[in-house]
Amino acid sequence: MGGQGIERRDILRFIGIASLAGSFPGFSKWVFACAQDHVHAPVAANTQGTPGPYKPLFFSPQQYQLVEHLAEMIIPADDTPGAKGAGVAEFIDFMVANRVPVSTRREVRSTRDAIEIGNEAQNRFLSGLDWINARSKSEFGGEFMDCAAEQQKTLLEELAFKAKFKPTTESGREFFQFMRDYTVVGYYTTRIGLESLGYPGLRTVWPSMPSCSHPDDPEHIHLGEPGRRNAAAT
Amino acid sequence: MPARTFDVIVVGTGAGGATAMKILCEAGLSVCAINSGPRLEPAKHYQMHRHVFDLKYRGRGNPRRLEGKAHQEPYSVEESEYSEGQDLFEHDVAYSNSPGSDWYWKRCKATGGKANFWGRSSARFGDIDFKAADLDGFGENWPVDYAEISPWFSKAEKYMGVASTVQNRPSNPDGEYLPAMPWRCIDYIIQKGAEKIGVPYLPDRCAQLTVAHNGHPACHYCGNCSRGCDVGAFFSPTWFTIPEAEATKNLTLLTNALVRSVLVDEAGMAKGVAYVDRTSKREVQVYAKVVVLAASCVETAHIMLNSKSRHWPTGIANSSGQLGRNLCDHLYGSPGYGYLPQLLGQPATPDNIADSTVAWMPRWQNLKNPREEKFIRGYSVYMGGGCGGFPGHYSQIEGFGAEYKRNIKRYYPTPVGALIQAPTLPSATNYVDIDPEKKDIFGIPQLRFRFQWGQNELLMWEHSKQMMIDLFKAMGAEMWGADDEPNRPGTSLHETGVCRFGADAKTSVTNKWAQTHDVANLYICDASIFPNCTDKTTTMPLVAFAMRTCDHMLGNFSNGVHRRV
Repeated sequence: MGGQGIERRDILRFIGIASLAGSFPGFSKWVFACAQDHVHAPVAANTQGTPGPYKPLFFSPQQYQLVEHLAEMIIPADDTPGAKGAGVAEFIDFMVANRVPVSTRREVRSTRDAIEIGNEAQNRFLSGLDWINARSKSEFGGEFMDCAAEQQKTLLEELAFKAKFKPTTESGREFFQFMRDYTVVGYYTTRIGLESLGYPGLRTVWPSMPSCSHPDDPEHIHLGEPGRRNAAAT
Repeated sequence: MPARTFDVIVVGTGAGGATAMKILCEAGLSVCAINSGPRLEPAKHYQMHRHVFDLKYRGRGNPRRLEGKAHQEPYSVEESEYSEGQDLFEHDVAYSNSPGSDWYWKRCKATGGKANFWGRSSARFGDIDFKAADLDGFGENWPVDYAEISPWFSKAEKYMGVASTVQNRPSNPDGEYLPAMPWRCIDYIIQKGAEKIGVPYLPDRCAQLTVAHNGHPACHYCGNCSRGCDVGAFFSPTWFTIPEAEATKNLTLLTNALVRSVLVDEAGMAKGVAYVDRTSKREVQVYAKVVVLAASCVETAHIMLNSKSRHWPTGIANSSGQLGRNLCDHLYGSPGYGYLPQLLGQPATPDNIADSTVAWMPRWQNLKNPREEKFIRGYSVYMGGGCGGFPGHYSQIEGFGAEYKRNIKRYYPTPVGALIQAPTLPSATNYVDIDPEKKDIFGIPQLRFRFQWGQNELLMWEHSKQMMIDLFKAMGAEMWGADDEPNRPGTSLHETGVCRFGADAKTSVTNKWAQTHDVANLYICDASIFPNCTDKTTTMPLVAFAMRTCDHMLGNFSNGVHRRV
C-alpha cells in the first residue's frame, strides 16, 4: 500500500476506517502503510529513540527543538515513552526533508504530485512554527519555548478543542492538526508506539487464529470498560 | 535463430494463465508461457515480514521512486515500500482515459500477477447470476448454468483450498470447504446487529489455508497476505500452479516479454504471438498451434484489439464488434464506518492477523422477488475492524496530551467499517478501445478506458449507506462517517466483460468454452469472458472456468480440431 493509502486519500475523511486496514483487501487501500506489520524472526535492534545528537536535515536547531517539544506535548511519556522517547522529531525532520507525503488531502498521481505535496509540507511546517511563536508572543509576550508550561498548554488547547477555538486562529488550528498527524504517524510506526497500544502484530507467528473469548455475550454489552465499572454504575 | 513452435502459447501467468499452463503441461503438451514482467521470487521479493519501523520511509516509500517512468501513479495496497525497487508492477506502459473517465488500472507484471496479492474471497457464482436476465429481464443470460459449472467450482475449490461453512443461501451456492476461520469479537457483534435488521453476516468463502492442504502449509496468521505469502498458505500461481507446470518439464517460461499482438496465418487463424523483449526492446515472434490469452482481462482485449490483419481489421476475433465492450467492475467504497462503544478500553486482540474477509454480508437483496428494490440484482458487503497496525481513529478524537494518548488506546479495539462490493451492469458506454494517438515506450498503441458508474450501482451505493445507518444503530455502534463518493473505477481489480462469452457469435467474442467464435485456436482464460461481474469476486471462478476451458481444449487436441506440433 506504499503509503498511497494515506497519500491518495483524504486522510481525515478516511481515517475512521484506517485502522481496519489489513483486515481485508478492500480496506487496505484506505490504510496507512504500517497497517499489517510484524516479524517472523527477531529483527535487528530498533535504533529509533536512541540517545545521541541528531543533526536536523530540514529544521534549524531552534525549529527542531520546538517540533520535538510540540510532539511530546501531543504524545507525552506516561507509563510508556512519549514522542521524544520514540524519536518522533527525527521522523518528522526526515519525512519533511525528503518530501515524503504524510498528511495530505491530495492524491498522488505522479512524482511531481508527491514532490509538490512535500514542498507544501515544508512550507506548512515553517509557517506553522512561525505562527505558534507569533501567537505566544502576542498572548504571553515571548516565544513558545520561553513560555510557562501552563501558557503553552493554553495556547494548544485553543487550537485543539472546538469549545476553546478563538477567532482568527484558523491557520494555527490547521497547523496543529497537521503537526498532530505527523506526530501520531511518527509515534505509532515505532516499536515503542505499537507496544504502547498492545498491537498484537508485533508477535511473530500465531499457531491459529484466536477467536473471541466471550461468545456467550455476542453483543458484548456486558463486558464493561476496565477501570470504568464504577462510573458506569453510578 | 528460427523460432520454435509450441503446442500452446499461454500469454499471462496469473490465476487463469498459470492454471492453463499447469493443466496443459500436465497433459503432455509443450507450452510456452509468456510473462510481461520478471520472475517473482518470494525469498527475494517478499520483504513483508519486516516491521514498518524497519523500513526507511515507514512504509510510505521514496516519493521519487517512480520518477522518469511513463506511468508514475503508485498503486495502493499491493505496491508498497515492501516491494520497492523490485520492478514487480507496471510503470513503463502507460494507458489513457477518455475525457470524463478515471479508470485506475493497477497492474502487477511479475509472474503470478495480481494473484500473488489477491484478497482471497472465493464465492461461487450461481444460477441467480447466470440466469439473471431471465429473472429481471436485463441483458442476456450467461451461456452456462450452475449444474454445468458446479463440478468445476468443486475442482477449483479442492485445488486452491477455500475455508467456509455450508450456509444454504439462494444467492451463494455452497462448495467444498476447509474449516472456516474463527470469529473475532467484532464478528459476533456485527452478526447480532445484522440479524436485528434482517441482513446475513456469515463466514466468507476465503481461499486461505486454515489447515495444511495438498502439500501447502496452513496459514501462520502473520497478517501480511496482501504483500504476498512467504510460505504459500493461500492459493497463488507462485506457490501452486507455476511450480507444478515447471515440474512437468514441458514448460518454457519467457519473462520480461510484453505481448503486443496475436499473429495469424493465411486463413486468419492464430499462429503465434509477437512480443517486445523489454530488455533489448526488440520484437520477437513465437509460434504455436493454439494461443491462450490470459493477460488480465482488459490487457487481453488490448492485445486482441492490437492484433489487426486483413482478416481482422478491427482486432482478432472481433467479428461481433464486442471486443473491448461491456466493461464491468465492482463499485467499491465505504458506506459507513465508526466504532463499537462496547469494546472501549478492552485489551488489544489480534483482529487483523488473518488479513482477510473473515466474514461478509453475502447478497440479500432481490432474492425473493428480483425487482423488490429500486435496483436490480444485488451487492455484498465486507466488514472489517478491530485492532489493526495503526490507530487510524486518532483523528476522530479531540485534543492532545496524556488523555489523548490514553484515548487512542481506549478506542483501539473499537473501529468498525464496511466496504460495499456492487456490480455494474454492462453498458454501451463502458468499454476499452485503442487510443488513436498515444503509443507506449515500446511503440505499442495504448489502451484507453471509457467508464462511468451507472444508475443501478449508484442506487446500490445509496441503499448500502442507509443500511449501514440501520446496522450501526442495531449493533449499538456510533458512526463516524461514510465515503462521499465511491472509489475510482478499477479499484476493486474485478474488471470483467471485454471479451464476453455467449451462445451467439454475433453478440459475443467467445463461445461458452472461452474459445473465440471466429478463431478456433484462440482461447481466453481470464475474467474478460464474464459478461458481468456479479456480487462475487472473480479469481476462484476464473480458475474454475480456465480448468474447464483447458479440458475442452484437450478434447479438441484429441479429436483432431487442434493438431500438436
